[in-house]
Amino acid sequence: MVEKILVANRGEIAVRVLRAIREAGLTGVAVYTDIDRRALHLAHADEAYPVDSYLNSQAILEAARRAGAGALHPGYGFLSENAGFAALCAEAGLVFIGPAATAIRALGSKTAARDMAVRAGAPVVPGTDGPVRDISEARRVAAAIGYPVLIKAAAGGGGKGMRLVEKEGELESALRDAASEAERSFQSGEVYIEKALIRPRHIEIQIFGDNYGNLIHFGERECSIQRRHQKVIEECPSPLVANNPAMRQAMGEAALRVARAAGYTNAGTAEFLVDAGGRFYFLEMNTRLQVEHPVTELVTSVDLVHMQLDAAFGGKLALRQDEVTWRGAAIQCRLYAEDPANQYFPSPGRIDRLRMPSGPGIRLDNGVYEGWTVPIDYDPLLAKLCVWAEDRPKAIARMQRALRETEILGIANNVAFFRQVLADARFVSGDLHTGFLKDFDYRPDTALSEAELEAAIAVLAAAEPKQARAPLVVRSNWSRQ
Amino acid sequence: MKRILIGAETEKEIEFDPSALPFQTLEDGTSLVLHGARVHRITHAGRRLLVNGKEVSLTLADPRNRRRNGSGKDDSGRRDIKAAMPGKVVKVLVEPGQAVDAGAGLLILEAMKMQNEVRSPGAGAVGAVRVTVGDTVASGQVLVTLE
Repeated sequence: MVEKILVANRGEIAVRVLRAIREAGLTGVAVYTDIDRRALHLAHADEAYPVDSYLNSQAILEAARRAGAGALHPGYGFLSENAGFAALCAEAGLVFIGPAATAIRALGSKTAARDMAVRAGAPVVPGTDGPVRDISEARRVAAAIGYPVLIKAAAGGGGKGMRLVEKEGELESALRDAASEAERSFQSGEVYIEKALIRPRHIEIQIFGDNYGNLIHFGERECSIQRRHQKVIEECPSPLVANNPAMRQAMGEAALRVARAAGYTNAGTAEFLVDAGGRFYFLEMNTRLQVEHPVTELVTSVDLVHMQLDAAFGGKLALRQDEVTWRGAAIQCRLYAEDPANQYFPSPGRIDRLRMPSGPGIRLDNGVYEGWTVPIDYDPLLAKLCVWAEDRPKAIARMQRALRETEILGIANNVAFFRQVLADARFVSGDLHTGFLKDFDYRPDTALSEAELEAAIAVLAAAEPKQARAPLVVRSNWSRQ
Repeated sequence: MKRILIGAETEKEIEFDPSALPFQTLEDGTSLVLHGARVHRITHAGRRLLVNGKEVSLTLADPRNRRRNGSGKDDSGRRDIKAAMPGKVVKVLVEPGQAVDAGAGLLILEAMKMQNEVRSPGAGAVGAVRVTVGDTVASGQVLVTLE
């Protein structure tokens, strides 16, 4: 019986998993780099071991050996989708809390996952079956599926090695550029071609399997609000799917067919693009816990991390597919240390002030505290602010209320940005697509009314009593409406 | 009591007595200012304030120091270009003596794998470049001076 679990991660997800470990009555082991020696996740651990990097598999395995840990949770990012690391854990006698190395490997490359989806009968975006060999094959494929097309790196992600081609004249140079960028970024110049969907939604299906072949899904999450191909707002249910149980069932079954073909166990997510006509296409499988898993938990009343622990230790799935139910609506805003008015540029630095919301329907998965310096070295995610309410309009109103209670000073952040996005008529209507934020014109609101300015001066004057008695000069970036 | 209000580009005098406004500072540091019956929620850390959720920069200072504490320009017209955020210098695009237009790229900073070009806020000549490639800079650190 495993009693000690090492969490090979940092930030809010390490806190999330360590909390579940405590709730399960087990001992949580953290690892930390020198930069993170005062990080919040250490406060949720029973033991902590230094490592030089969260990517150093040997150092992490050594920490697990010294701790006498029987299992390892990888979180997301870092080593979580590294099949070689999962295999090393198994060799070292550590239970890897996630799918088997074989399943990670089978779904690891986008083209391999696509092949598997095609064989399993899940719809995929029309395009080449594998890497495209030369320009004549590219011309033939693009003409057959119709322009516009997307060229993508086979080993890629994050938009690297990706080119949109509107017409045949642009194909040859775009193919060359994409291949050389892919070569530089991923040490593999292999690219493939698929039909470019216009204003697609990004909708994904949460799946879960035990070690005995039982696989079920927990419905969808809408993740269309993205910047730089990274999600910032996620919802469950999707406004498109919420009133369309047949679509949820069809997407769920497609996700499960791919998972079954890969021999999938534990938590995973099948990502789909959905076109304007509501047709969905399998994109890839994320073989780990997702950043946005809380919205599914809030609406389906399950705890996916507890389920991960149970399944990894040989527990049988406690739920049948027909016992999974969806109630209400949940929204997650990813609070980032970044400047939405300046191309979302990361803004590490000291958090001078931090007040987080509470009250009915709020769930906060937080990884930082007041006085902590957000390091320059890691992802700028501070916390995930989630709300649940009876329906989507109430969830939006609750999120607006929660954002008004949130105070972050000292680093640029996206709290005020979310308040504007959530007030946008298109967002409220649920008419979303992955280019939503490209079309969204964010203007920080720094205009103070006369009354607000006077109120601010009163507070500042009281904080600096000497100056309050002298004639005052007020300097500001405040501007009149 | 007379006060002078300086915005980003303008200054003007206002008549206002801050002690006339009642306010309460709560235990967690948030101040509630009552303007009539209207509640304004204010919190601050140094010169950064959140006023009803809107982030602004405000300072109170003695009017005699006003010139020295202006918008980054001193009497000679020299202007310091500072890092808006911490980062690492990955490229320097200008050299001392070089004339630059408003919006011209001065250098490139990188943080958390994101690159950001620091641009000139106005036309002028580069006086000094205070950093070199590979330097890690703090928020507010002077990168380049313009003349």
